[in-house]
Amino acid sequence: MKHFSLKTIGAAVALALPLAAAGPAFAAEDIPNLSGVWQWGGCVGPDGQVGQGFGGGFTCMLLEEDDARLTERAKAYRDAFEEAAQPKYDCAPISIPHMWTDPYSHQIEQLEDRVIFTYGKDDVVRTVWLEGHDHPKPAVNEFFYFGHSIGRYEDGKLIVETSKFTFDPQGLNADFKLASTTQKKVTEVYSLVDDKLDLVVTTIDPFMLKEPWIYHVRSERDEFPLSLPWACDAEASRDILKLAPSDYPNDPPVERIQYP
Amino acid sequence: MKFVNTLCASLALTVAAAAAFAHHSTNGIYDEERELELTGKVISWKFINPHPTLKLEVVNEQGVAEEWDLSYGGSAVTHLVRRGYTADTFKPGDVIKATGHPALLEGARGLLMEGTGDPVREDGTAIIQR
Repeated sequence: MKHFSLKTIGAAVALALPLAAAGPAFAAEDIPNLSGVWQWGGCVGPDGQVGQGFGGGFTCMLLEEDDARLTERAKAYRDAFEEAAQPKYDCAPISIPHMWTDPYSHQIEQLEDRVIFTYGKDDVVRTVWLEGHDHPKPAVNEFFYFGHSIGRYEDGKLIVETSKFTFDPQGLNADFKLASTTQKKVTEVYSLVDDKLDLVVTTIDPFMLKEPWIYHVRSERDEFPLSLPWACDAEASRDILKLAPSDYPNDPPVERIQYP
Repeated sequence: MKFVNTLCASLALTVAAAAAFAHHSTNGIYDEERELELTGKVISWKFINPHPTLKLEVVNEQGVAEEWDLSYGGSAVTHLVRRGYTADTFKPGDVIKATGHPALLEGARGLLMEGTGDPVREDGTAIIQR
């Protein structure tokens, strides 16, 4: 069985690109200027106002542990899976959509044939391949931690559709052990509202969600550049586990792999 | 290991109103209904991601030195930098006072400093300059 790192996959896909990309595929008026660094977004309520504060501004991005949208199998998986086995305790990044609940800025770079998202946590870089440039598609047996993202500009909005995710034990919520499957699909719609970044996220996963999970956030530009590299310390990432007893005390203790 | 008399632990356990917010990654780990104030000597301060770690030596009521892990919850280096922290904010041997939520696990020595303010010097003056 072969294992690929995110960087390896990214590099491989980039190398596979045709050197001469096709010309502009979208009309200039359809392309909003999203480039720059954006702060962590706050939830937009039904009244169109953005919530304030740590506790009030991000709850729309959270799928709670007993959320009514969860399927029975999602809850069963949650109950069986041990906290200590979550990939985040080995410094594995958290995928979309739960990644956006973490309070970090992100950077958007709009290029001719792709859009690059760089996040202020975990050194995550996502490439969105714009339609109309003959980008190669993943093979039927290829799946990715952050999925495969295809984008297009339409009516002043950037629409990104991501699928081909690997099964992910923290794919819907890393804090409540809510997993996602290869049937997860995330749609992001970005636009500008008064020079703020407006984002509507729709997530489906028929194995884990009874209905689409939709939320709406808005971000302001950030005066600070991203503070990277992230340089995650694996020991520090699992420090908190000292305070959480194992769910399976009769199993042999887990000796973690020490990565160089 | 040498202990300073003034380090005689001040373990002031108080019931506080529920914290206004909580990072969900610490859900079920700390008792966010209670606050604990610790005074002790810094053992180590690691300004690292995903979470900076502060270890404190506190002498308990029986005169025994205990090691406590102080957590900033979901905060990473980038968040604490914006609040005025640096890699040199705490040095081994510094005597500080910290308030936070104690760990729920019986016998565990962990303190969550989320929504409870920054640690201060023993005399109550600010360490963090904003």
